[in-house]
Amino acid sequence: MSTIAELMTHDHRACDHDFARAETLAAKADWSGAAEALDAFARALNAHFDAEEQHLFPAFEAATGMTHGPTHVMRAEHRDMRDALERLQAALRAQDGDDFAGEAETLLIMMQQHNMKEENMLYPMCEAHLARVQDELCTLLSQALAAEHTA
Amino acid sequence: MSKAKANPGLAYEDTPPLSAPLRFFLTAPLFGICAGLVLIFGDDVLSSRWTPGALAVVHLFAAGFMLQVMVGALQQILPVVAGARFPAPMSIAAISHVLLLLGASGLAGGFALGVVDALIGGAVLLVTGISVFLVAGLISLLRSPSLKTNSHAPRDLRLALVGLGVTAVLGLILALTLGAGLSLPLPLPTVVDMHAAWGWLGWGGTLLAATSWVVVPMFQITPGYPARFTRWWAPGVLAGLVLWSLAHALETKVTGMVLGVALVAVFAAFALLTLHLQSRTRRSTPDAPFRAFRGAMGAMLAGLLALSINLVHDADHWSVLAGVLILHGGFGGAISSMLYKIVPFLAWLHLTQAGVRAPNMKKLLPDTPVRQQLRLHLAVLLALVLAVFVSALGPLAGMLMVLEFGWLLFNLVRVLHAWKSAREADEPLRARPS
Repeated sequence: MSTIAELMTHDHRACDHDFARAETLAAKADWSGAAEALDAFARALNAHFDAEEQHLFPAFEAATGMTHGPTHVMRAEHRDMRDALERLQAALRAQDGDDFAGEAETLLIMMQQHNMKEENMLYPMCEAHLARVQDELCTLLSQALAAEHTA
Repeated sequence: MSKAKANPGLAYEDTPPLSAPLRFFLTAPLFGICAGLVLIFGDDVLSSRWTPGALAVVHLFAAGFMLQVMVGALQQILPVVAGARFPAPMSIAAISHVLLLLGASGLAGGFALGVVDALIGGAVLLVTGISVFLVAGLISLLRSPSLKTNSHAPRDLRLALVGLGVTAVLGLILALTLGAGLSLPLPLPTVVDMHAAWGWLGWGGTLLAATSWVVVPMFQITPGYPARFTRWWAPGVLAGLVLWSLAHALETKVTGMVLGVALVAVFAAFALLTLHLQSRTRRSTPDAPFRAFRGAMGAMLAGLLALSINLVHDADHWSVLAGVLILHGGFGGAISSMLYKIVPFLAWLHLTQAGVRAPNMKKLLPDTPVRQQLRLHLAVLLALVLAVFVSALGPLAGMLMVLEFGWLLFNLVRVLHAWKSAREADEPLRARPS
């Protein structure tokens, strides 16, 4: 069984690959291919956010009693990234290559600085506080990620 | 872990105000401009690494441009990567910025004009500025939670700070030797070599590597660095530097040379591995900063080759060539390309956090001026390399360098203007009663 950090970090990279595929196709002005790839990325990203917001963060908050700590910040960043994703989707609908490239660059950096905080701080903190329920939580998280990826 | 300690620098309010890192990024290019001016007006600056002009240029570059950007960026990245919260971040930024600015200027001015008091005063101010930053960094790191992570970046950032401390102490000793007649137990060139090696590898190289462990795989979407490599690289470099310094101090020439070659090889391995990973990026449209970062790794490798030749063949031009390639081509290129990502993103982040509708990064800083400035960077590197062999080209390289850093500054100021315009455009909207 993998740890929380391994599972969630692996999913970050999977999302990155979906993102890169959409960016590649949009750069080639293959808009239908890019739309499909961006849909896959949006599903993966939302599945990841939902898994965290519905399973991981509540477990962390229950174990530590911190509801205004790091998870609060991560939820706010999820909101910012959902907004950024909407702007990326709007650029794609408008088939505006420049706008798409700019919004993609912005979302990528936003996403990666968020991932850095989670991978270096939050996930290790979760592992420290949730050691007793780690296996159970990993099963739940894997199911949430898998189910929503294919939805 | 106590609950108080369990809330590291993740809060929005922990992001230091934009002006904290930005002041370093905006004053850094001024040192590049000054380095260009020294090349224009100095005599045969690049004929040897011991000319007053060369010493001034190296310090304008390393203790000016590079140190400014690195200290500014660390205040931003330590909270994110290591959960370290700086105490009183604005005061620390203000104090360390002024001290580093005056210190590097005094030191370089002292070298260029042969003014001993400026040299010593500059060195003391510089070391004081570095100490303020290091003590604040140390406090923040001691307060940060110790977490078990798979990434070696947080540990290696700490090791780079050790490298900075050693470089600063050796530099101060050298300034006091040159300026105040402090007598050294070792020959002066030996201590100069140690100072340079610790600055290049212990501080700059280790910081670049620690940053790359994170930046290359995540932002350029490449495979990660192998864990075995990142586990051993920085501690290996540090241990190698300690042993090499001892061998140098004890004048065991062969051991020193073997360790020197080993250190060069270890750094080359980092540059080669980075180039290899970057060639496997999943991003299909490598932009100018990405290409510039690869170019910087190439320049580092060429610099290492020159350094290796210098180990066996001690002619003046090899060490100057190595310095040009590593400092301007390697660190200069990598730092410029990172600045082009960091500054627009920080502007975007601060607008977004203030609830302002932020233009995307490429609207804050379009690709074209970035691409043009980075092309000029390559042209300057070429001119510098030629000037090492044809000294008459020195002033031309200097003029191009003034343009290069002036343009870098102009591009960064552009972001600031776009940031201000976005805020002003948003104000009437926010002033409207809801």
